[in-house]
Amino acid sequence: MTVVINSRDDLTLENYRRVAVGGESVAIGQEARETMAEGRADFLRLLESDRTQYIYGVTSSFGPRARLTIPPDQQRAHARAFGFRRGNWARGFGGGYLDERVVRGIIFARLANFVAGNSKARPVVAERVAALLDGPLPRVPLDGEVGAGEVLPMAHVLQGLRRDDLEEGEANPLMNGSPVSAALAADTAVAARHRLDHAEQIFALSVEAFGAPLDSYDGVLDDLWGDEDEASALAALRRYLEGASPDGRASAAVPASYRALGRVLGQSHRAVAGIEEAARVSLRSVTDNPVYVAPDEGHPLGRAFSTGGFHNAMAYPALNALTAAWADLTLLTQRHVTALCTAAVPPAEGQASGPAAGAATGLEPVLGGVVEEARAAAMPTLLPAAVNDAQDDVSSPTFSAYRRQARAAECLDSALAVLAAQASQALLHAGRQPPRPLQNLLVTVRAIFPPVEGSQSDLGARAGDLAAALSRSAVSGSAPFGTSR
Amino acid sequence: MTVVVNTRDDFTLANFRRVAYGGEPVRIGAQARRVMTAGAGPGPAVGQPRQETASLARRAAPGAGFGGGYLDPAVVRGTLFARLASLVSGHAGVRPSVAERVAALLDGPMPPVPIDGQAGAGEAFPMACVLAGLRRDDLHEGEEEALLGGAPCSAALAAHAAISARNRLAHAESICALSIEAFRAPLGAYDEALDDLWGDPHETAALRGLRRYLHGAGAAERRFHQAPVSYRIIPRVLGQVHRAVAAVEKAATVSLRSVASDVVYAANEAGRPAGRAVRSGGSLNGMVYPALSALSAAWADLALVAERQVTALNTAETSGLPVNLVAPGAPGNGTYAYGWAANGYVEEARAAATPALLPAVVEDPHADVVAPTFSAYRRERRAAECLDGVLAILAIVSSQALFATGRSPLQPLQPVLSFVRSLFPPIDGTGERDLSADGGRLQQALGAAARSGELTVPDADRGPAAVRPGDS
Repeated sequence: MTVVINSRDDLTLENYRRVAVGGESVAIGQEARETMAEGRADFLRLLESDRTQYIYGVTSSFGPRARLTIPPDQQRAHARAFGFRRGNWARGFGGGYLDERVVRGIIFARLANFVAGNSKARPVVAERVAALLDGPLPRVPLDGEVGAGEVLPMAHVLQGLRRDDLEEGEANPLMNGSPVSAALAADTAVAARHRLDHAEQIFALSVEAFGAPLDSYDGVLDDLWGDEDEASALAALRRYLEGASPDGRASAAVPASYRALGRVLGQSHRAVAGIEEAARVSLRSVTDNPVYVAPDEGHPLGRAFSTGGFHNAMAYPALNALTAAWADLTLLTQRHVTALCTAAVPPAEGQASGPAAGAATGLEPVLGGVVEEARAAAMPTLLPAAVNDAQDDVSSPTFSAYRRQARAAECLDSALAVLAAQASQALLHAGRQPPRPLQNLLVTVRAIFPPVEGSQSDLGARAGDLAAALSRSAVSGSAPFGTSR
Repeated sequence: MTVVVNTRDDFTLANFRRVAYGGEPVRIGAQARRVMTAGAGPGPAVGQPRQETASLARRAAPGAGFGGGYLDPAVVRGTLFARLASLVSGHAGVRPSVAERVAALLDGPMPPVPIDGQAGAGEAFPMACVLAGLRRDDLHEGEEEALLGGAPCSAALAAHAAISARNRLAHAESICALSIEAFRAPLGAYDEALDDLWGDPHETAALRGLRRYLHGAGAAERRFHQAPVSYRIIPRVLGQVHRAVAAVEKAATVSLRSVASDVVYAANEAGRPAGRAVRSGGSLNGMVYPALSALSAAWADLALVAERQVTALNTAETSGLPVNLVAPGAPGNGTYAYGWAANGYVEEARAAATPALLPAVVEDPHADVVAPTFSAYRRERRAAECLDGVLAILAIVSSQALFATGRSPLQPLQPVLSFVRSLFPPIDGTGERDLSADGGRLQQALGAAARSGELTVPDADRGPAAVRPGDS
């Protein structure tokens, strides 16, 4: 399949998923080609009307030399030199590399600048960008990519693009703007929604394993708390606990970590919605600098002016919020594991209550480090303190925020794997079966992490397998933990 | 005036403001009394209090927390107001007379509520301080738990932060616009076309806020080339602040009317004529502390960008303005040292932006998760205070840039410039001035304005005159 793009409205999260995760190609539609050709012709009329007017990067130099003007007879050569010089600006190194799917996503997001005619570029330039998706993708290092705007990572992403025939105004829309932030937000958003579903499944399994009373997730709370995100969390827990017997559940005091589950998961819903919003808005934003705006009544030749569109200010705070939400969920996971290990699980009918130790997997000590790692990752990414030069005096920190979110998500997956294994063990120990909506989950967990019998030496490796399966499923949304399970 | 509360829908931010800041009393309406009478009718409507809640109530003696200063009495008033939401709903199972006693506390002096030591399971510890003056010797079973349970402190802290945050943001926009005008930054970076091209409602709100102050500004005498990044991205950074403020407002709006008691009485359900008690974890408010953390980070980022603009204005090579913004013929180093002073505020704001997470400590196996709202609230206060410091410096430097070049800003910016100069006149090199004290007064005035919503210009003859940013 091929995703056809005709307007900014085609730059959706769903199309992002098809291109980045599904590996589909992109074709520039006829409508977009016509719009771009018209925009290019309009821009050239504006430029030819006065080649001494200030248009950043077209009639001027770049970055800290922005005040230097380029003589009209050198402006085309300047455009081509810009392309090459920026291409050689791929300077970041170390820290590993972006996943290839994210590089695909950046190329997809790059097209928003072009398809509505705001880029000043010919359609062929956008088609070349789209064609990059059909070839081998460049490697983009994770370290050293924080600067003003996103020129540094874009220099890596576009290394394979032909640029020797670029014309005036066509280099900026390639390198400027903030498609990297859009793609990093979208990549995170796609996985976050799946990861949240995993968490809800596994926490529900924990509720069942502990035998916690169900009224903490009662439908009456939806209205009494009055928040749609908490209502979504409560509804999800009820969905997975549907059919659970109210009998034989813990009647004594239940830890706050079970009672507050709906509220803490509600905050994760809010954070996931936040990153989804950031991704949706960013994917279709025109963030070029300078941006070209089509002719109107007051400006018959249109306008080209400098903006700060290259600085995406919504993606990194949304990533920060999600990272903190994952850290809090990781802590809650640890509390559940502790509770399951220390509390006596209600025995099945006719069976005597066994010692709590029999319900333990032995994995619980590993969570201390995991929780602390997640909390460390939750330290917020702020606007960087470093200043490159007097002109480029604020940098964009999205790369840093993305990496911390990924680390916190990794920690959460590990903690969820331990909780899933622990809940499975507790249910086995108690001789209980979970309600029907959780049975497939339990089968999947036990296939990767069979119940512990006696002393086993490979528990860590199997827990690692379970965490890795959760991580893979978060990206793909499919088996073994996704909705298509 | 008196705020009459009949249902949860009466627990609005506007009514919070009237009660907390306006000092208005609260009266329990007839509808609420009827509902409460019905809710308390079944006797101990919520059944036997849970062991740990009862235990908590016994331990929650006033004075358990200490240190770190005290909550603003207005916030304590707000907490009492927020407490009433669950009571008047009828879901707490308390009698109307108990709610009336709580409301009556608003007619007396507020008790001191320490800020430190209040992160426990639920909010029973601070509520014990808030309700220190409440007669409790005749409470029925379950009523003390209803008074101490839930999350009214989180609701009040969020509401207090939300109200001042909206005002602070408005003032920040006016000062950033003053800075844009002082720097003579090109106006394309705030163009109306960006509303649609960026496509984000919060960034659109920020762009409109800036354009309102820059209305009528022309291209003449502005720099011909693009301004430093800190000037071009300011609408996007302010857009993020708009988003953070909106989130705190939502958290406050939702939390004020929430019934978050640990045990709620559900009546009028089919098949359950006697109603039922539902036990939950409502006392852990999961939305306020993340919203406050996000707001702290937004203040810190705005403080950094404001500092970068201060540096740009103070640097002649960048701004094209007089060296150190010294007025022609005047001695001294002008506003140069204020750029250094801004560093400390920025670093403090960044430290305060460390998020409040669920605390690592475990009080006991049952109270194994506690809410960190008080910590988040304190950090937001500190970040906001630091932002006020940097904004004061940006306002001083912008005012000085206009003074040193003999320019007068557009009409929409005149009120904010008058406010700034009433507290910090331009440095003209004459007379002895305590520039540190003058700057401190401006910072404090910005803090006060965040609460009142008005930039107050002292007038020796006519008394203080209130100016709303953008008034012309």
